[in-house]
Amino acid sequence: MSKKLKLQLFLLENMIWVLIAVFFLFNAFVTTNFATPRNIINILYHSSIMSMLVLGQGIIMVIGNLDLSLESTLAFAPGLTMLLAVNWFPGTLGPITCIILTLLIGVLVGIFNGVLISKVQVNPFLQTLSVLIMLRGLVLFLVPFSIFPLPEAYSFVGQAWLFDKIPAAIVVVFLIYFIFHIVFQYTTFGRKFMATGGNARASFVSGIDTTKMVIIAFALSGLLAAVAGLLTAGRQGSVNNSMGEGMVMLAFAGAILGGASLEGGKGTPVGMLGGAILLGMISNSLTLLGVQATLVYATQGALIFLAIIIDRLRIYVRNRLLHQEQLRKLKLENP
Amino acid sequence: MSTDSILKLKDITKIYPGTVALQKVDMEIRHGEVHGIIGKNGAGKSTLVGIISGITTPSGGSMYLRDRKIAHLSRLDAKREKIAIVPQEPQVISDLTVAENLFLGDYPHRGPLVDWRAMYRSAQEILDKAGLNINAWAKAGELSISEQQLMLLLKACYVERADLIILDEASASLSQDDEKIYYALIAEQKNSGKTIIVISHRTEEILQVCDRVTVIRDGCSVATVDCSGLDKRMFSALIVGEESAGVNSVFSRCHFGGAGETALSVRDFTRLGYFEEISLTLKKGEVVGLAGLRGSGRTELFKAIAGIDPFDAGTLDIAGCPGIPSSPSQALERGLVYLTEDREKEGLIAGLSVRENMVLNSLRKISRLTFIDRKKERDLTGRLLETFEILAASPEQEVNQLSGGNKQKVVVSRISAFGPQVFLLDEPTRGIDIAAKDSILRLIRENLAQDAGVMMTSPGLDDLLLICDRILVLYKGRIMAEFAREAFHEGKIFQTMQGDLAV
Repeated sequence: MSKKLKLQLFLLENMIWVLIAVFFLFNAFVTTNFATPRNIINILYHSSIMSMLVLGQGIIMVIGNLDLSLESTLAFAPGLTMLLAVNWFPGTLGPITCIILTLLIGVLVGIFNGVLISKVQVNPFLQTLSVLIMLRGLVLFLVPFSIFPLPEAYSFVGQAWLFDKIPAAIVVVFLIYFIFHIVFQYTTFGRKFMATGGNARASFVSGIDTTKMVIIAFALSGLLAAVAGLLTAGRQGSVNNSMGEGMVMLAFAGAILGGASLEGGKGTPVGMLGGAILLGMISNSLTLLGVQATLVYATQGALIFLAIIIDRLRIYVRNRLLHQEQLRKLKLENP
Repeated sequence: MSTDSILKLKDITKIYPGTVALQKVDMEIRHGEVHGIIGKNGAGKSTLVGIISGITTPSGGSMYLRDRKIAHLSRLDAKREKIAIVPQEPQVISDLTVAENLFLGDYPHRGPLVDWRAMYRSAQEILDKAGLNINAWAKAGELSISEQQLMLLLKACYVERADLIILDEASASLSQDDEKIYYALIAEQKNSGKTIIVISHRTEEILQVCDRVTVIRDGCSVATVDCSGLDKRMFSALIVGEESAGVNSVFSRCHFGGAGETALSVRDFTRLGYFEEISLTLKKGEVVGLAGLRGSGRTELFKAIAGIDPFDAGTLDIAGCPGIPSSPSQALERGLVYLTEDREKEGLIAGLSVRENMVLNSLRKISRLTFIDRKKERDLTGRLLETFEILAASPEQEVNQLSGGNKQKVVVSRISAFGPQVFLLDEPTRGIDIAAKDSILRLIRENLAQDAGVMMTSPGLDDLLLICDRILVLYKGRIMAEFAREAFHEGKIFQTMQGDLAV
């Protein structure tokens, strides 16, 4: 394989970062106040919640499933926790306990999804759709008005700025992405996880507990949705019943931009981060360009559509390159 | 060129990347005859069927249909020329009724409307005439596989009214009663002047129904002979080739008959409908072959032992520890690995690199506290690439880009790196070229069997004769006979595989 081909494949593999660079440079010239440190921090801060959902959706897609319930878990986990801490048993739960409880609820929702999907063989779309509606319904029922104020430590990660310069949320997000990167790239679990996503049947036959892998994937995505809920609650300083609404579809878009595919087996945490940042950059530049608020959503959709078409093109070009390489090799072997 | 030939093949070849499936096939099918095509597994039968039924395009040679030269046959041509195929696995639309399936694509109509009354009436007539006790209104999915197969044959005979009917191992899934109807149908069609091609690996069936038979061996048509006056033993010899050449020189130096401690012992193992009361033992250092035709239960037996498929009764000992693994991961834990016959679907993780595929079974060996030690991983990969002589541009190459033989070596090296007590190898030499085949066989004998017991199957007997210490013959789910290495005789073993013990 020639150096040139290797470079081409590398660039195609990391297309998301190329897209980000192009989009960034374009905006740096066109959009005023875009390429300022302040605005970059701003983009990252506003992407932090979405980036958790993108990562959650991404790892679910790696293992060949999908999770629609993420955005309801985002509201349900902190909602239920705050009901317990503020309304039902006031004064008994410390803020740290509340954080742990929030995360735990997210994990439990994920495990519930994972067990039904992998053991009972419920279709993942239907399973997570029903949980999406059920949890949103429960939130609407249980949290008719927003709950505030929240304990200070509870809203710390969503609200605080470190040294008055960097939001704690960004640090938390990068830390989480770093941990996921290490786990997926460097541990035996990561290997088994990627193998299961690539070919579940072959992985099962070769002795990997694929059921466990699916359950863990959903537990992790539930956990990440709960973290997203924590960040949202912190930023708003309150818990209400519309948190996260409409986010799950954008999370899909982000994961696909980040290299995940609906067939499974593709994608890395670093790629997901790229997907989330590109989403954030798109919405930020639209705001700065003064696109009418009512038109932002549609424009966002159009840009995502464009990015996904570019992604299809990427896969096409990649397969073509590999095919040509294969033909060249065959010619060498059988002149 | 005789004028009564309906289909004629001359010098047909088919080359796939890496393998030559057909080398030189000459065959002439005459009008009004029942013509058999027989050959061992891997001889090239299925490729040939693909070509004459219009699914595969030949790489070279010429075909004549009714004395007219054709470049290749497409499925549409086949339909126009009244050629019908009854495939190995019946393909029916389960939610439609029997009558709808029978007339699919050719519904009787009055004007623009389907004439349902006429359709059900004639469907029922066809079924009754053939002596099948099936209601035309029944859903096709409610029929047994055997009945579905017959239904498709009836469609070919009476709905499509084909002049040339190709039966691709169609009898394999028939029940005994349905088999009688099937033979009667063939005879009836022949009497009404139709031509029939029967592909089969069962000598008995060929001798019973065919006028003439073409024998395929190693991608070549070896002979076309009249079935009358052909005796079974001669026929078997024709199929397997000249009397077994004995032990290949490369393997004669190998150490045979290792008799270590028992690695695997199976008692009265049964899965109803697949295999029954299988008892066998496997010692360390031994390679045991499991010979059997397709459908004899080889794969099912392996998969049940490995915890992939269920079983109904029996006991199992792996290296002295009793208990049957309930999943492949448990089997691995106990020191038993299974190599799948379906490399693409159940073996490789296509999107991952060669390295990632190779170490998948030995992650524990190359990691500390779940963190993978990159150096150990590189060393292991390098060692495996060398031992198994795998041709890859680099260990980082996507495994999908390797040739069939090298892919297979990757899978074999993967399970060998784990270092189990028992290897169950299901067709380890399937679909790979001769050179790769030899080196895999050598590695099985010299590396895998060193500290473990190996049990393997193969598409042909050749591989088993080369490297096995013993061969067990499986027929319809039961072990028919056991041959020790001194008593290897290809013809005899082949005959036993057909269920014929009177050797």
